[in-house]
Amino acid sequence: MSRVGPSLLLMTLALVAACSDSTGAGGGGGGGGGDDDELALAGGTMTVFDATSTAFKSPAPNLSQESLDRHIAGDAQFEATFVSAPAPVNPGLGPVFDNTACGNCHINDGRGLAPAPGQPSPSLLFRISLAGAGEHGGPLAVPSAGTQMQQRAIIGAMPKGSGAVTFEEVPGQFDDGTPFSLRRPSYQLTGGSAPLPGGVLVSPRVAPPVFGLALLEAVSEQTLLVAADPDDRDGDGISGRANYVWDPITGATEIGRFGWKANSATALQQTAAAYNGDMGVTSSYFPAEPCEGEQAGCDRHDPEVSDEIVGLVQHYIRTLGVPARRSLDDARARRGETVFANAGCAKCHLPELRTGTFAEVPEAANQVIRPYTDLLLHDMGPGLADGRPDFLASGSEWRTAPLWGIGLTAVVNGHTNFLHDGRARNLMEAILWHDGEAAGAKTKVLGLSQADREALLAFLGSL
Amino acid sequence: MRRPLSVPARLAAAAIILVAATACGDTTTNPNPNGFDATAVLADAPSKVIFPTYVDLEAKANLLHTAVVTLDASTTDDNLAAAQEAWRATRRPWEQSEGFLFGPVETEGIDPSIDSWPVNQADLNAVLASGQPLTKASIDGLEGTLKGFHTIEYLLFGTGLKTAAELTPQELEYLLAVTESLQGAVTQLRQAWDPADGNFSATVATAGQSGNSVYTSQSQALQELINGMIGICDEVGNGKISDPFDQQDRSLEESQFSNNSNADFADNIRSVQNLYLGQYGTSSGTGIRELVQAKQPSLDATITAQTQAAIDAIGQMTPTFGQAITSNQAAVEAARAAVGTLRQTLESQLLPLASQ
Repeated sequence: MSRVGPSLLLMTLALVAACSDSTGAGGGGGGGGGDDDELALAGGTMTVFDATSTAFKSPAPNLSQESLDRHIAGDAQFEATFVSAPAPVNPGLGPVFDNTACGNCHINDGRGLAPAPGQPSPSLLFRISLAGAGEHGGPLAVPSAGTQMQQRAIIGAMPKGSGAVTFEEVPGQFDDGTPFSLRRPSYQLTGGSAPLPGGVLVSPRVAPPVFGLALLEAVSEQTLLVAADPDDRDGDGISGRANYVWDPITGATEIGRFGWKANSATALQQTAAAYNGDMGVTSSYFPAEPCEGEQAGCDRHDPEVSDEIVGLVQHYIRTLGVPARRSLDDARARRGETVFANAGCAKCHLPELRTGTFAEVPEAANQVIRPYTDLLLHDMGPGLADGRPDFLASGSEWRTAPLWGIGLTAVVNGHTNFLHDGRARNLMEAILWHDGEAAGAKTKVLGLSQADREALLAFLGSL
Repeated sequence: MRRPLSVPARLAAAAIILVAATACGDTTTNPNPNGFDATAVLADAPSKVIFPTYVDLEAKANLLHTAVVTLDASTTDDNLAAAQEAWRATRRPWEQSEGFLFGPVETEGIDPSIDSWPVNQADLNAVLASGQPLTKASIDGLEGTLKGFHTIEYLLFGTGLKTAAELTPQELEYLLAVTESLQGAVTQLRQAWDPADGNFSATVATAGQSGNSVYTSQSQALQELINGMIGICDEVGNGKISDPFDQQDRSLEESQFSNNSNADFADNIRSVQNLYLGQYGTSSGTGIRELVQAKQPSLDATITAQTQAAIDAIGQMTPTFGQAITSNQAAVEAARAAVGTLRQTLESQLLPLASQ
C-alpha cells in the first residue's frame, strides 16, 4: 500500500511549523488574536487544507507512519458495512440497529440530515428514557425498549419502533423588520417490538461530524473547568457546566466531551457505544445486544467486533484532520468575526483552546486549536429543549457545538441543516433557535443590520 | 461500493499544505487556480461526462429489468445468460461513474442502494423463504445489502455456474422487484444531476460565481473532480485489488459471483480517463486535460500513458481476478503498481495545478 513519502511529509511539517512559528501565541478567547497564518490553522498541526467534499475525511498531515497506517485501517472499518451473522465478511449486524455502517450516518464523516416530514432519515436516531436517573446517574432505561429506539432490524427481528417528524413554521422578525421563519419539529414515535409507555422522554439526534476528536480529548479537564461558571458568578447570564458521565470502559465517572449533551467521555466510549447502539454490533466493551431481554435473538454475549477494530475506528476519528479556516483576507468575513464576538457568541463558542499532553495521540498535544466550543453544557431554553436529562445535563442543556469546519457543510454533506435534530435549515436559523443562556446573544443578533448579519454568516462560512 | 479515501486525501492535504504554507496564509479563495480559467472544464465535466454517464446507467438499468422480465416469462439458460450480460452492461456505466463519487450519490445517500457490499446472504435467504410478496416498494424498504448490484449479481450468477433450472420462483420474483428498485435508485441519481431537474450539474459549472454556496471557487471544484479521480485509483489499488490479494481471500472480492472484477477495475480507471479527456461515449467536450495543457503540458503524455497502462495491466490479471490472486500474482502486483503510479501522478502533479 502506498504511503506518503517521508521527505514530503517532513517538508510539509517543516513548512507548517515555519508558519506557526512566525507569530506568538494567539489571543485567549477574545475572538481574533494571532495573524492570518495562525488563524487558518483551526486544528493546529492537525489542520488540513481541503475545501472539497473530502474536507472532513482526510487524515491529519502530521501523523507518524504507524499512526497513519492505523488511521487507514480504521478508515476501512469506518466504511465497513455489517450484515447478519453468519457471514464471511462483517457479520454481527443487529438484531436491531439504526444503520449498517458508520459511514452511512456520518456521510463523508460529516453531519446528518434531518428527516423530511413523514419520512425516515438514515442519520437521525432517537434516544429514549423515563424520568429519573438510571444506573450510575445516566438516563433511566425504558422497560423493554432501553435507551435508544432502533428503527431497523434484521429479517426475523422487530425494530423497537419508528419515528416521524412534522414541522410547524414559526414566524419572527429582526429588529429592522426583516421577517424569518423557524420550523418547529414535533416527533411521533410508534412502538415496535414493545409498546412505548406513556411519559417516555425522547431526544432526536442527528449524526455529528467526527473529525478532530483527539484535539478535543487533549484539552485537559482543568482547562475546560476554567471556562466553567456553573453558578454564573460573573453575572453574565451564562453558566457553563461540565457534564460528568459514567464511562463503562474505565469504570469511572469522567468529564463528558462528546455527544450532543457531552454524554460520552472519550472517543473510545463513543465508538464502542455507536457500534452497539447504532449497528447492534457487540464488543467486549458493550457485550450485550441493545435489545437484550426484549425479544428473541438478543441474548447472546459474543463480541461481534474485536477490541482491535474498535480501537482502529477510535484512532481514525481521533486523527481526522480539521479543515483550515478560509477567506482570511475577506473583509466582510473578518468583520463578521468581530460581530460574532460582540454579540457574545464567543463566550461559549470559544475561539481558542490549548491542548495539553496526550500520550495516546501525541500529534494532538500541546497546541492552540480553534474549535469554537467550550465543550460545556448550557441551558438553551425551552425551544430547543428535549426534556430528556442525560447524566448532569438537564432537559434543556446542550453541549456547545464545535463550529470548526461548519462552513463546509454544504460541500461535504449537500445540506445546511444544523442543531441536534437538524431543524435549522441554515446557520442563521441555528442562531435564532438559541435561547436561555444565549438569549442575550440572540437579542444582539436580532438587532444587527443586514450588512452585519451577512458579515456574521460570512465569518461562519469561513470556518 | 464506497471505500475509504485516506491515502489520496492525505496526499492531497499534504500537497495543498505545501502550496498554502509556502504562501503562509494566502489561503483564501480566488476565482481561478493560478490564473487558469476553468469555466469550460467545469461546464463540460457535468454536461459531457457525468450526466451522460448517469443517463447511460439509467438506460442500462432499464434494459436489465427488461431482461429479467423476459427471464421470468421464459426461464431458459439463454435468457439467464442475457440477463447476466445485461447486469454486466449496467455495471459498466456505474463503474465508470466511480471516478466522481461526490455530490448527490453521497449526500442523498443513494450509493448504498446501488452498490452496498457485501450481500446480506442470511437475510436474503430469510426473505426468500418467508413467502412475503416482493415488490419494488418492499425491496426499497430493505437495507442496501439486500438490493443493488451485488444482490442482483448473487441471484443471477450464484456461487457456481448457475443454470436457469436452479432459479426458484422466489428468486425470480425477487429479481423482478430488485431490478426495478435499482432502476429507481439510478433514476434518482440521474435526476439529481439533470439540468431539467435537481441540476447538481449547475453547482459544478457555476463554481466561483456569486450565489454558489457549495463551490465558492473554480479551484475548489477542480480539486473536487481531481480528488474523485485520485479516490477511485486509491480504491482500486489499495482496496479492490489489495484486500482480496493481500489476504488471499476471494470472499473479499467485490464482484465475486460474476467474475466481473477485471471489467469493474478497468472501467473505474476509464472514469478517470473520461474526466481527464472530457468524454463519455459519443459525448465529448473540454476535459481536465486543458488544465494540464495550460499549466504543465509535459504532464499530459504522462497522465495519458499511465491511464492506459493501468487499464492494460488490469486486463492482464488472467484468467479472472479471483483466480489471479493465487495463480497469477505477478500480474496482480503489476496491475496494482500501475494503478498506484497513476494515482501518485494525479496526487503529486495534477492536483497541485488546481490549487491557487
